[in-house]
Amino acid sequence: MKIEIIKYGDKLVSRPSGREVFLSMESNILKDLSNDEPIEIDFAGVKALTPSWADEVITKIAQRFKKVSLVNTENMTVQATLKTLREYSDLKV
Amino acid sequence: MDTNLEKLGYQWITATSDSVDVESEYYCQTKDIFEARNDRMSEELIIRGMDDGLAYLIYAIAGELGNNSFDHNIGNWPNVMGIFYAFDYDGKNGILVIADRGIGVLGSLKNAVSNLKDDKEALEIAFTKKISSRVLENRGNGLKFIKSNVSEKNFTLEFISGNAKADLNHDMKISEAEQLIAGCLAILKF
Repeated sequence: MKIEIIKYGDKLVSRPSGREVFLSMESNILKDLSNDEPIEIDFAGVKALTPSWADEVITKIAQRFKKVSLVNTENMTVQATLKTLREYSDLKV
Repeated sequence: MDTNLEKLGYQWITATSDSVDVESEYYCQTKDIFEARNDRMSEELIIRGMDDGLAYLIYAIAGELGNNSFDHNIGNWPNVMGIFYAFDYDGKNGILVIADRGIGVLGSLKNAVSNLKDDKEALEIAFTKKISSRVLENRGNGLKFIKSNVSEKNFTLEFISGNAKADLNHDMKISEAEQLIAGCLAILKF
């Protein structure tokens, strides 16, 4: 399963909007997936990402699925956010 | 660069509750207003010559600061709800001022972190410590994100809450604030 983050916006900042996105994912694209399903999260096109938004989406996906990979993470805010989550939110990917 | 913004931010946050300038062009009563203005800031910074990546990083920092103000005070504003939000960039130097008249960092953290002594300790924890709490879940990473980026990009940040002040650049120094700030005042220079 490939998740294109750009489909949820190019500026992903607030915690409530992240929460809404994860709820939508849970009732749609993630609904019938096994925890062993490989998940590729693609950040292509994202202009701004914050730890508040990503904690509600990326951290939660990584907690549920065993095989999560991240691609197209070159954006400065994506890099900085992932660094923060790895250090303070136990993000393992 | 408009250095008067710093003074206006101080005036807004220290005014008595019945004299707060809610007609100010810098006042955002609701989160929707703040988010719309913050969206425009990133585009404005790019128009004025800033590199796209840096502009969106400053946008993300402002997003964390402003959204913190709204999220941590929802339904609990002591008097005037909303934030003061202002920025300027002259193509070389920039300033961002965000202030709220909310419950402050100590007020936000004390339900989640037991035995917090004072505002200084609250700031130290908010900027540096991993907080494990069911109350906050994973909340509280925004200020760590900001601290890391202020250091990496050689910005400066003055962050005052209660009677504590954090000065950040490559290091962070926490000291007594000259003036009590009920809520939070953040001044980012880039």
